[in-house]
Formats: sequence, C-alpha cells, structure tokens
Amino acid sequence: MKIALFSDIHANLPALESFFVDVEMQNPDAIYCLGDLVGYNIWSNEVIHEIRKRNIPTIAGNYDFGIGRTSNDCGCAYKTDDEKANGAISISFTNESVGDKERSYLRTLPAHIKVEFQLNNDKLNLLLVHGSPRKINEYLFEDREEKSMIRIMEQADADIMCFGHTHKPYHRIMNSSNEGQNHYRHAINIGSIGKPKDGNPQGGYVMLTLNDNSSILDKDSIQVEFIRFDYDVEKAAKAVEDSPLPNAYAESLRNGI
Amino acid sequence: MEFNQTPMKIALFSDVHANLPAFEKALESIDQQKPNAIYCLGDLVGYHIYPNEVIREIRKRRIATIAGNHDTKVKKLTEQQLSETGNNHAYGIIGQDEKKYLATLPAHIQVDFELNEDKLKMLLVHGSPSRNDEYLLEDKDEADFIKVFKDAGADILCFGHSHIPYHRILSETIGDTTRYFHAINTGSVGKPKDGNPQGGYVLLHIHKNSGKLYADSLQVQFVRFDYDIELSAKAIENSPLPDEFAEKLRKAV
Repeated sequence: MKIALFSDIHANLPALESFFVDVEMQNPDAIYCLGDLVGYNIWSNEVIHEIRKRNIPTIAGNYDFGIGRTSNDCGCAYKTDDEKANGAISISFTNESVGDKERSYLRTLPAHIKVEFQLNNDKLNLLLVHGSPRKINEYLFEDREEKSMIRIMEQADADIMCFGHTHKPYHRIMNSSNEGQNHYRHAINIGSIGKPKDGNPQGGYVMLTLNDNSSILDKDSIQVEFIRFDYDVEKAAKAVEDSPLPNAYAESLRNGI
Repeated sequence: MEFNQTPMKIALFSDVHANLPAFEKALESIDQQKPNAIYCLGDLVGYHIYPNEVIREIRKRRIATIAGNHDTKVKKLTEQQLSETGNNHAYGIIGQDEKKYLATLPAHIQVDFELNEDKLKMLLVHGSPSRNDEYLLEDKDEADFIKVFKDAGADILCFGHSHIPYHRILSETIGDTTRYFHAINTGSVGKPKDGNPQGGYVLLHIHKNSGKLYADSLQVQFVRFDYDIELSAKAIENSPLPDEFAEKLRKAV
C-alpha cells in the first residue's frame, strides 16, 4: 500500500501542478493532503479547485482555519516586526481574494484523519494532522525532546504520525517499549509543496509504503521516502513580486527558506 | 441554525462486489455530484467476475478505501479453495498484485471535525467498529447501538455490509443535554438487497454548524443509479460462479 502525503502548498499553483505530475508517476494507492492550501502567493482559489477536483481527502491547516473564518489571524508564529507586517499583508490579501465557495470549503475541512490498520495481530494507527494532534499550529520540530514527542503520540494513540506546518521534512523513529516489548513509533514531517524552508527550493512530499508485515514491532517494516521535485520557482516568485504581497516571499521561494 | 454555506460533500460507497458495470455507473454518478472527498467502505470482491478491474479502478483513482470481510477473506483461502469452481471462483481469479493491495487495506478511517466548540467524529468501518463481518441492522436496540458509538468514540458511524441502506438518528439525554448519533448504512454499489436492483451510495453533507447537539445538523442523501443489470447478470451466468448470484442481482435480494 503506497500512500502519498503532501501539505503546505500555500497558494503556489506551479508547485502543485508539478507535484501532481510527479506523484502520478509514482502510482500511489491513496493521496492525502495535510493542509495549508492558501496564503503567501496569488493562487489560493486555483489550488483549492485542483484539490477539490481530485476529491482528495484533506485536513485543515492553520492558514485554512483562519481564512475559513475570515479571520486576520493565521496562527503563524512570526518572530520579527518585519515578519509580522508581511504576514498581515498576506492574510488580508488572501482574505480579499478567496471566493465564497472556496472559503466554505476551508471552513468545513476536518481537523485530523486517522487510518487504522490491522494487518497482522497488532494495530497500526496512522494519524494525519497539520501541526500536532493537540493544536493545528503547534510546531513539532525534529529536535523536540523524545519523551515529549512520545507522549504526544501516546495520547493521540498514533503509531505513525504525519504532519507538516514547519516546512522542514524529517522522519524520526522512537521506541516507546513497554515491559521489554518494542513499540516503534514514527514521527514524519512531510515537508512543503509550495514553500519549503529547508534550504532546498524544490517542492517536497512523502511516500509511505506499508506491507502486510508492517508492524510496531519492526522499525524497518514501514518505508518513508522523501521525494523532491522541480517546478517553475521563478514563475511563482515573479507572481509574488507582481502582486501586493511582500517581495520577501519571492526570495524565500528562490532560496527555500 | 444556518445552513446558508456550501456544505462539505463526502461521497461514501461500499460493497461493489466485483460488479464492474455497476461500479462504472456509480463513478459516473459520483463525478457528477462533485464531492469534496470520496471514501470506499470495502468489499471490492466476491460474487462476480471483475474483481481485478474494480481494484485497478479504485487504485487508479487513489480512493481512500478500507477492507471489507470479503477483502480480508482472500488471504485466508488455501490454494485448493482458490482453484475451486462455485463461490470461491470469485476469489480464485484475483491477481497477485491485487491480492497484495487487499491484504494491506486499513480496517477503519476516522475523520475528526472541529468546526465549532462541538467536536464531531466520523468513523468509517465495513461491518461494525469491532468486526468487519458484524451486521449493524436498522432495528438494533437503541441502547446497544449507542454503546457501539460510545465504545468507538464516534458521533457519525458509516458502514456497509448488509447492503440495505438507512440513516438512523439515535439520541441520549443526560441532564438537560441531548446528544445525537448518526448511524449510516451506505447500501451497496454492486449487490443491493433492499428490493431495488439499482446501485446505491451516500452523499453526506457537513456544515460549519454540524455538531452532536443538533439532530438535523448533517444531511444524508441516498443516491440510486441505473446500470445494465442484465449484462452484469449474464456475465455471471456465463462464468463458473453459481447462477443464483445473477438472479439475486435482478431481484436485489
């Protein structure tokens, strides 16, 4: 079973179109979208159309949550005054440009999807969230203390937890063994289609492969592949520069930061 | 309550049972409805001659699918059973790659909505949350039924298996608060048993106000569609499968 997971498109239509070409070649059995369809670029409506058209099960990201409620708060953790000022321009631009139907779609997206496998004798729960199971805008970075990460996954009854939000992909395997019995848990950040921040400007997504022997007892029984693809970065960056959006977002796309 | 916004439209179908002519028409009908998401609640195979074609179409469309009892049964059959004529012919013709797909399907999918202060959990199963071959029939005792919801932590429970569609709203009042549960049987695309030989599936409409405190907070639409039943029945009669499977399609029993 091959499952493609993507998120954080952020209104970047050229990146989304290239993603669809790339993922079709991979021939997955299912595709899920982990949210943040809109914001930071000019194609919010088009990105929503492309995802709806394909009937892709999608959960809400923090930006979708904000725009769905016509709020001027996207729940983003901006640090500097410049970032805050730019963020305010982006959310008001996005609120003005998103159509009524598109806003309704964002408004009614679910928060989480849990896919429960019972492949052999044990259960294997794949949990899809945008930020964390507790909060749509919580950042789960790779350097989070292992104990804390395991607690979050235990509370959510998740063996494999996939999320986005930070735009920095990683796969971390942790053993929360109980009474000598291994229990491997996988925390997977799937990266970003349209606004990567790991220094690589290519778009990125994850392909998860499960077999009939996939289990919490064997850490290698689940394959996680990070796929990167080229897209017309310059077109996406120019669209930002030709719009009321801050030019800083164009530079971020060119540099993958 | 306001329902003035466009709702989230979710298409749910199940029990295709290798009936490709019915499945093709189901997909045409679903596509016309333009749902926001599509889920398949299992039983892709059994009773008919097109299991591989149905599996390939579901995979090609990347439809999120859970396993039905017929799907999980395939890996338990012996080589001897798979080479038999009669009922087991329906499983014997399934290809290797298609068997692998069936063997890795998930058991349940849970979709959590947090649209307002009221969280809403929608659980998709084939039979019941505890077994993929348990029947949750419409006349089930209300208290027993509510226990099934509570044990699974579900507010909306969608399932197939019996091939008889229904939507039953259950309620429980504690103090001055009444909470509602929705039991939704999605019917069957390829082997209906409710006396109507048309194929069937469900469209679920969820609104920003949908929650557990309002009985009418979600709409369930049962869609029926025509397909070439005679062509489908004849294909069974021209195969090593029992002829009674063809008669059952004609009569929807």
